[in-house]
Amino acid sequence: MTCAEALRVQAYFDGELDPGEAASVGKHLPRCAACRALLAELGETRAALRGVPALGAPAALRTRVLDALDEEAASVPGAGATAFAPTKRIRGSALRTRPFWFGAFAGLGVAAIAAAMFAFVLLPMSVGPMVEGLLSAHLESLRPQRLVSVVSSEHHTVKPWFGGRADVSPTVADFSAQGFILLGGRADPLLGQRAAVTVYRHGKHAINVFAWANENAFLPEATSRNGYRLLFWRSADLAYCAVSDTTWNALEELRGLIQAQSEAERRVDASRDAAGTE
Amino acid sequence: MSDARRRFEAQVLPHLDAAYRFARWLSSMPGHADDVVQEAMLRAFRGFAAFRGNDPRAWLFAIVRNCHLTALSQQRRRAHEPLPEEPDVENSHFIAPEPGPETDALRRDDQRAVERLMSALPEAYREILILRELEELDYRDIATVADIPIGTVMSRLARARAALRREWQRNLKETA
Repeated sequence: MTCAEALRVQAYFDGELDPGEAASVGKHLPRCAACRALLAELGETRAALRGVPALGAPAALRTRVLDALDEEAASVPGAGATAFAPTKRIRGSALRTRPFWFGAFAGLGVAAIAAAMFAFVLLPMSVGPMVEGLLSAHLESLRPQRLVSVVSSEHHTVKPWFGGRADVSPTVADFSAQGFILLGGRADPLLGQRAAVTVYRHGKHAINVFAWANENAFLPEATSRNGYRLLFWRSADLAYCAVSDTTWNALEELRGLIQAQSEAERRVDASRDAAGTE
Repeated sequence: MSDARRRFEAQVLPHLDAAYRFARWLSSMPGHADDVVQEAMLRAFRGFAAFRGNDPRAWLFAIVRNCHLTALSQQRRRAHEPLPEEPDVENSHFIAPEPGPETDALRRDDQRAVERLMSALPEAYREILILRELEELDYRDIATVADIPIGTVMSRLARARAALRREWQRNLKETA
């Protein structure tokens, strides 16, 4: 039997927890036989793997690599060339003989290449892990006892719970009247940060609403994977993604509700600020 | 020797052994690791000027992994060269060739068993186990090398460890 704390016990074993979290796992272990067994197993597996003798690169390979580096240095001027000074001078004078507008167009060219690189190289790289990360976090949450860490239908309880556990503070509200029942919250590792996850129930379907700080300005289009739908939007400086196997219409409706709520909160804050400065 | 070359030899070349080990574990096809590592070292040298991170080892692993995947897809395209189904555990470089005292022989049997178990695992599992248990990369570096989010590192690592354990127990039952 696995305990809901299994991943945290693994992170504890791997030395990935901060002292506070490690202490809480330390308190959990004496009370949980499954996690103690897991910890022992992790130690055994590691010992067995580390018993395999470390192997070095064959001498012939080392020679081949060094030869290849020598060849590379000889064939590419500048990369490893010792005569770098003349190369530089030639390049400098060539530039100076070109008309003044050459620089302007060269600049445009570089900008275009950079834009193309961004569109074709960087974007797919950043979208793949984002969608995959959200989906795997969603699937993880559907396992027994994983869905919510703080069980509450009251947003005044859920929102403060995120403080210190997640890196962002998203809009949280109960929309039971509209059919979206607030179940609670969770903090998930996502894209190198602790995303705040608000969990709703709509009919029989669980909906995870992930919120994280979004430094790069790009979010993927709505997409579906393996029957799960992912709807992205941005609100204030946060990125949101609702993940569920419910309908697109339901996700769109929830997005509308959360955005309206966040807009209302922003107006209240703004009026409070205005009142405070008067 | 140029500055770039000196810097490369000081910071990246010391990880040649680790790069080779990683490549060997990724594929046991004869000669594959050598070719992959040579290509990876060359690419690393060309890209080293642009490298801004503080751990050249994890960066090098990522390049080795890319070169391995590229080589693999090229081999698959050449249909007349079928991939070996069974890895050549017998010829594995991981095993010391000289016979030792009896206790050493027993130990080597254990080691051989671990290698066999590992080679039975899917490559994604084998890869993450090597990076974590043998090369001792932290979750963040593993995420970089394997190009997956940290959440996936955690879940995949747990699944890989469980799978290795299952293979292990199956193996114990068969030999008993």
